[in-house]
Amino acid sequence: MKHSFKVYLSFIALTIFLISCSKERYIDEPGNLVPKTVDQDSSLPSISVNGALLHSEAFGPEDSTLIVCIHGGPGGDYRYMLNCKTLATKGYRVVFYDQRGAGLSQRFPMSWYKAQNPDGINKFFYDELRGVIRHYKIHPSQKVILLGQSWGAILATGYAGKYPDEIDGLIVAEPGGLKWDDVKEYVGNSRSFKLWSEALNDATYLDQFISGKEDQHEILDYKSSLIGSTNEIVGDVGSDLGSNASRYASSRSGAVVNAAAFELGEDEKPDFSSGIQNFSTKVLFIYSSNNKAYPDSWAAKIALVYPNKEIFKAQGVGHSGMVDQVNFWTTTMEPKIISYIHSL
Amino acid sequence: MKAITLKSILIISLSFFQNKMYAQFINWENISNKHKHLLHVNIAGEYGITAGLGYYHLIPVKRFPFWIGGECSIPFGNRLVDDFKVKIGTQIRIVAFNHFQFSARLQGLSRRYQNQLVRLFNFGCDFAGTLGYYRHHWFLGVEAGFDKAIVTNFKHSDWYKRNIYANVKDGWYEPATGGNFYYGLHTGYSMKKVDFTIRAARVLQQDFKSQPLFPFYGQAGVNFRF
Repeated sequence: MKHSFKVYLSFIALTIFLISCSKERYIDEPGNLVPKTVDQDSSLPSISVNGALLHSEAFGPEDSTLIVCIHGGPGGDYRYMLNCKTLATKGYRVVFYDQRGAGLSQRFPMSWYKAQNPDGINKFFYDELRGVIRHYKIHPSQKVILLGQSWGAILATGYAGKYPDEIDGLIVAEPGGLKWDDVKEYVGNSRSFKLWSEALNDATYLDQFISGKEDQHEILDYKSSLIGSTNEIVGDVGSDLGSNASRYASSRSGAVVNAAAFELGEDEKPDFSSGIQNFSTKVLFIYSSNNKAYPDSWAAKIALVYPNKEIFKAQGVGHSGMVDQVNFWTTTMEPKIISYIHSL
Repeated sequence: MKAITLKSILIISLSFFQNKMYAQFINWENISNKHKHLLHVNIAGEYGITAGLGYYHLIPVKRFPFWIGGECSIPFGNRLVDDFKVKIGTQIRIVAFNHFQFSARLQGLSRRYQNQLVRLFNFGCDFAGTLGYYRHHWFLGVEAGFDKAIVTNFKHSDWYKRNIYANVKDGWYEPATGGNFYYGLHTGYSMKKVDFTIRAARVLQQDFKSQPLFPFYGQAGVNFRF
């Protein structure tokens, strides 16, 4: 018994000694657990829009039709949409940007978002998209097509309804909902909250290991990445970008902007379909077969508000699969999008 | 709604059902040299839904009796052994006045978390104080404590490096990576060799403002004394 006790004590002492000898490493230091943002790493491509440094890049001829890719979240990033950059080889100018506070774009404290109320969504999502378009649009007759996925599709719809004369085409891939109640219902349906599920403890058990204050972006973004990168319900299996992947494997969630957007949504109860009845150009509405939270009936309900539309069901992929699975993109989605653009 | 809306939804959903379990489940009025062993089983809400098993041995020092032992718990899920927590430590009665008693608990702990992206292994400590009113057949008390994640080892999967961040730095992270305060109530009904216990408390992160996704804890347990 005494011998066992000594062995146990020795093990603890050795462990403490080894840990105390190691170099201190902080979980909130940029670059340790999550990649640095554009304001922390000047080698990343960026543009300045409305007082924020945004991670952004564009491919293809500068004066050709703009296709602006708008990522999901709020708080996601554009990396999973990079398959779309093959459109540049077909003669289009393909634009990617991470929204303010998301991806590798500059972070802002929660207080900044709260200070934008009322009308915060208008101020920091619509105005930002407008700024991005203005940055890349080099002549007045240059056409602009929005390609949004998930939250990006919601934002694109809202923008087209708000500025119908500024947009020449609209491609929306699985907007969860356009009216606030539909948004909340979809989000609830797309996540599992079974008390006994692995998904639940994967999300909640983490909190005893890592905790972060309201504006400790590195910690909050890291935790957000850990709990939201795959989702069996919506059929997401992780991006397959093939050779379209960027030279740097860096993806980062924007936890604060995500929380802020939902708080703003609860306050404002936005209707992102407002004004879309004035957008008479045909809309390409895409949804997937593998998203259990997005059945045919839900797609029909959400698509109802678009006055002129073509509905396309992406077979064999999930919520993001229409853009983040390289094989599906190459064989099905890219030809479909090119065909849609030619039809305008 | 891609990816990270989960936290937002969990915050909304779990605001209505939140809990956690800790180890102070002893009816100090019933300790006896005849029953120096205590086996405890429980089901709890503690950063998830968990099942726990513990054993404590009584050291009957006259004015300051204390229990030493340990406990382990695992959350439910498809993969039972990827997450767990083990605690080893002591619970000691410090003050007794009539039926009021004040006790303290100090435990070292290690815990593990794993999902598709990362494996975390952590050493920490958990200490708490409890003031309670103890009778032979029942007890009621309040407690407050702090659970600190002192040092944590991160080991990321190839999936994380391929899809999220290629240059992530694995290894031991210190100083402390997290900590949560908790405060709440515990109560129980005692029979000759068995206690039925219930606990409930609120959990706050160490900045006293933020809260975990599961910001409460609850526990139903049974003690067997022998």
